[in-house]
Parts: sequence; C-alpha cells; structure tokens
Amino acid sequence: MALGDAWKQLSWFYYQYVLVTALYMLEPWERTIFNSLLITVAAMAVYTGYVFMPQHIMAILHYFEVVQ
Amino acid sequence: MTESAGNKNEDCHAANGVKPGRNGMVKNHHHHHHQYQKQDKVYHAACNGELYSRPFIESFEETPMLVAVLTYMGYGILTIFGYLRDFMREWKIEKCHIAREREEQKDFVSLYQDFENFYTRNLYMRIRDSWNRPICSVPGATFDLVERSSNDYNWTFEYTGRVVKDVINLGSYNYLGFAENTGACATAAGEVTVKFGVGVASTRQEMGNLDKHEELEKLAASFLGVESAMAFGMGFATNSMNIPALAGKGCLILSDELNHASLVLGARLSGSTIRVFKHNNMQSLEKLLRDAIAHGQPRTHRPWKKILILVEGIYSMEGSIIRLPEVIALKKKYKAYLYLDEAHSIGALGPNGRGVVEYFGLDPKDVDVMMGTFTKSFGAAGGYIGGRKDLIDYLRTHSHSAIYATSMSLPVVEQIITSMKCIMGKDGTTIGRSRIQRLAENTVYFRRRLREMGFIIYGNNDSPVVPMMLYMPAKIGAFGREMLKRNIGVVVVGFPATPIIESRARFCISAAHTKEMLDRALDVISEVGDLLQLKYSRHKVLPSLDRPFDETTYEENEE
Repeated sequence: MALGDAWKQLSWFYYQYVLVTALYMLEPWERTIFNSLLITVAAMAVYTGYVFMPQHIMAILHYFEVVQ
Repeated sequence: MTESAGNKNEDCHAANGVKPGRNGMVKNHHHHHHQYQKQDKVYHAACNGELYSRPFIESFEETPMLVAVLTYMGYGILTIFGYLRDFMREWKIEKCHIAREREEQKDFVSLYQDFENFYTRNLYMRIRDSWNRPICSVPGATFDLVERSSNDYNWTFEYTGRVVKDVINLGSYNYLGFAENTGACATAAGEVTVKFGVGVASTRQEMGNLDKHEELEKLAASFLGVESAMAFGMGFATNSMNIPALAGKGCLILSDELNHASLVLGARLSGSTIRVFKHNNMQSLEKLLRDAIAHGQPRTHRPWKKILILVEGIYSMEGSIIRLPEVIALKKKYKAYLYLDEAHSIGALGPNGRGVVEYFGLDPKDVDVMMGTFTKSFGAAGGYIGGRKDLIDYLRTHSHSAIYATSMSLPVVEQIITSMKCIMGKDGTTIGRSRIQRLAENTVYFRRRLREMGFIIYGNNDSPVVPMMLYMPAKIGAFGREMLKRNIGVVVVGFPATPIIESRARFCISAAHTKEMLDRALDVISEVGDLLQLKYSRHKVLPSLDRPFDETTYEENEE
C-alpha cells in the first residue's frame, strides 16, 4: 500500500515536472532527449562532487584550523 | 487632488465593498498596505469629482515572479526544440507537414521565417486540438461535440464517429441565453424564413432594404436611447468599414492599447494618425489629448480636423470595463468625439440590459457613436451603429458596408427583433428581465467562487467575461484537454491574442447556466486547478492606475 501511494505521489511529481518544463507538449522522443540530457548533466555534477568532496572538506577544515 | 484623498486612509475598511474606501496613495501606502492585502481596491471617485455612482472594483493581480520565470523557461525549452525540428525539416530528416515555399522561390524573401510562423509550426500545432473543435448542436448552455483524434500529433485529425453529449458550455458568447433552437425567437425566425426565404441577394443601397430592416433599426434606436441606428450584416465589418467613413487624413484617432482587431483595422484603413493610450488609463488619455491639442498635426502644427477616441465597453481578453464617466468628462472638456464599441457589453450590463452607458447611469446622447454587435447577447449575427440622425444618414450613403455588402439575412433580423423585444419587455413577458438578473447573479457568484478558490482572475467584478490565468504553455493544452475529459468546454487563449506569458482560460457566463451547472463547473475547475497547480493567487492586487501618471506610480509595486 505504501508503495502504491509512493508511486502515485512520484507520478504526480513527474506530471508537474512535465507541465512546468513544457515537456507535456513534446513528443516522446523529444522528452527522452531532454530527460537524458538533464540526467547526464546531473550525474556529472554528482560524480564531480563525489570525486572532489573529500579534498574540499579537508581544505575547509584546514582553513578553520580544526585539523593540521 | 491625490494628497487630499490620501490623508483619509485611517477608517476605510470596505469589507464587502459597500462602503467605499480610499485607494492607497504613494505617501501613506507603506503604513497601510497590510490593511489592503486581503481586500479589493475600491475606487470611490471622490478624486474624480463624484463621477461614479457605484464602486468600480477591478483587479489585475501581478504575475508571481516564480511563475513568470518558469513560464519563460518553458517557452525557452519549446523554442530550442522548435529550432531542432525546423533543422530536421530543413535537412529532410523529418517530413514537413506545413506549408513551405517552392524550390524555385528559395532565393526570394522568405515567407515563413518570422516568429509568428515559427510559433505556429512548433508551439501552436502541438496543442491544436484545444481549438476549432466541431460542435454538432446548438451552442446553448450545453452542447454536443464531435470527437476527434490525431495519430500524427495534431497535424491531421480523424473523427472517431462518437459524439460527446451535454458538454457544459463556458466558451460561447451567449450572455442572455438567446442561442437556442426553441422558444419565441426561433419560432419567429422560422416563420420569417418560410415567408421571405433566407437570402436577400442585394446590398442595402440597391434592392436589399426590406421593411424588416427598417423595423429593426427603429427598434435598435429606441433600445439604445438614440435618435437613429443602422444595422450591418457582420460585426467585424461594422467597425472596419465604418471608421474609415468617420475619420480620414488630418484626423486623430486615440485608441486603447487592447482594442479589438476590427477597431485597429478600421483605424488603419481610415488613414488617420493613430495614437495609443494605456489600457483604461485616463491619465494617459488626457496626456495624449492635451498634447494633440497643444501641438496639432505633426509637421504643420495645424489643428486636428477631429479627434476620435476609440474604446470598448467590455474588453473580452481582460474582462475589464471602460471607465466611461471619466472618458465622457475628458471628451467634453477637450471637445473630442467618442466611439464606443459595445460588442460584449450590450445586453450584458445595466439593469435593463442597455449596456455600459446604462450601467454607469449616463446619457446615451453623450456618446457620439454607439456601436455594438448582435452576435453576443442577441443570439444572432451582425452589428449596428447608433447616434444622431444626421450621423446615421451620412453613414447610410458613405459607409462601405452599406454600399457593397449584402444586407442582413431576414431570419437573423427576426431573431434580433424578437430577442430585443424580449429584453425590453415589449413582448409582454418578464423573460428578458429575469435573464438579465440571472446573468448578473451568475457573474457575481462565479467570480466570487473562483477568487475564493485561489485562482488569479482578471477584470471587473461585474463583467460576465472571466479570464483565469494559466501562464505556462503546457498548462494551456493540459487545461483544455482535462476540462473536456470532464465534460466542460472552455476556451483557452495564448499568444498572439494575449502577451506571451499571460495565457489564460476565458469563461463566458450565460443567463442560460443554472446554478447546478455553475456549481458542477466550479467543482471541476477546482479539481483541475489542483491537478495542474493553477491556484497562483497570493491576494496581492495590483493597484489600478488611479493617480497622476508619473514615475512614482511604479514605486508602490515593491511590496
């Protein structure tokens, strides 16, 4: 039941996303292109964060002299 | 003038609009704006010399910033995909369904490269199924719709063969409910068809002037309270063909920003100089009048031959009512002429349905040219012009429409005569009176309920045209489709009829709607509004410009 509700909620969010970005008016292959581009850019951002986050956190802690 | 009105801000809680308040003036606004946040601006005309006998409540809520940004983003994404599709069509990757130039014409100036054609190809076509829907019954309070489907994304349609029955009609200009196939009007029109036939086969000046036309014109003149009137076969043609007869070179036309295409076309065809004033803004109009009289014609500085002010009674895209008392005061002060286009307001406003002049309690003789159409409230087709007898006699000989256009078909004339008599009460019943009252009640109820639900509604509280803002392009198509799924037919409007981010759904209330129909429609609108997240209103009402037109006006919008 919780899974069904979560699915309904997710599909409502997807519908809102599709309405606001005007993907509602586009054909399915155009939606695929746009979604792929968006996911690619988001994935790249997450990957960059994953690679560089330890370095950045060490630099911040070093600046505040928490760790030498 | 403004300072004296501004000092009396303290005790003016006009909760239900009965006791008039003061509009927030620039100086005292930041002290009192919290009082006005939840109430409509009521403009009592003490600062306009007691011109208004009733409160004039109009509001155009400001577009929320987030919604505006998201709308632009949506249009940006659609534009990018539009360029992609145009590229594919150009390089023959995709079949081109739309008109294009022939191979031999490729080196000429391109016909289809401007933004309007780009918009049509790439944005309008995608949601085209919300428009031009074929109807197969009389467009009364409910109608039947022929169902269509499209397999190639709205480039072509096929009929499924089914008919959607009893769709509630919120789109027809059927203000008094005379668009019906039963009743006195339809019977009378049927009898006239049997007696006289349908076609007239001539123009008014030649053999097309029947006694029924004369009867109609006398009746229209007495309905409007003017000396004489003339009827034409088409409402658009009434404006576009008669303004050239009234104004010419050396005349000045002052036209409202949001005037209808027929008025703009008539003004351009006349060859006069056209100056545009801001929508319903009397300060802008006065400034233009003063400049015109002080400076005269552009290079020679000779006085203008005449100054004609073109306004409409109700503006159908905004739902706003013209500030007629102020326009008439200005016209008298600066000795200009007034042309009032009452296409949507005749029959729909005023306690006896006589239009916007009666709504404000003014004298019809103050308006020089009273134009209107029979399409909206009378359930027929055509237009009329009313005014002084010498004006109408002049138009009979000099109007293009009278000389060249076929005269009105007789069943239509009979429909107008019967419905006009019904509204005036001359047929001995109180049907007309009760319809006018029902329209007023329906209007007030519908507008109030929509406002309470949280939608952004434009326009005056008394106008039967109710524009509801949608803003985002995808929601235009989604709203039309979702409402049709739930059996309600609405008209959605986007660019170019409205500014590009202010797309809207326009409801037209009718006296034929019963309260149950309106309640059902309101429930469905609320449901669809929740589904599409259309309830944008934050009760921040944009103050209507009722103060001197200068830079300080815009400081108030920073709340």
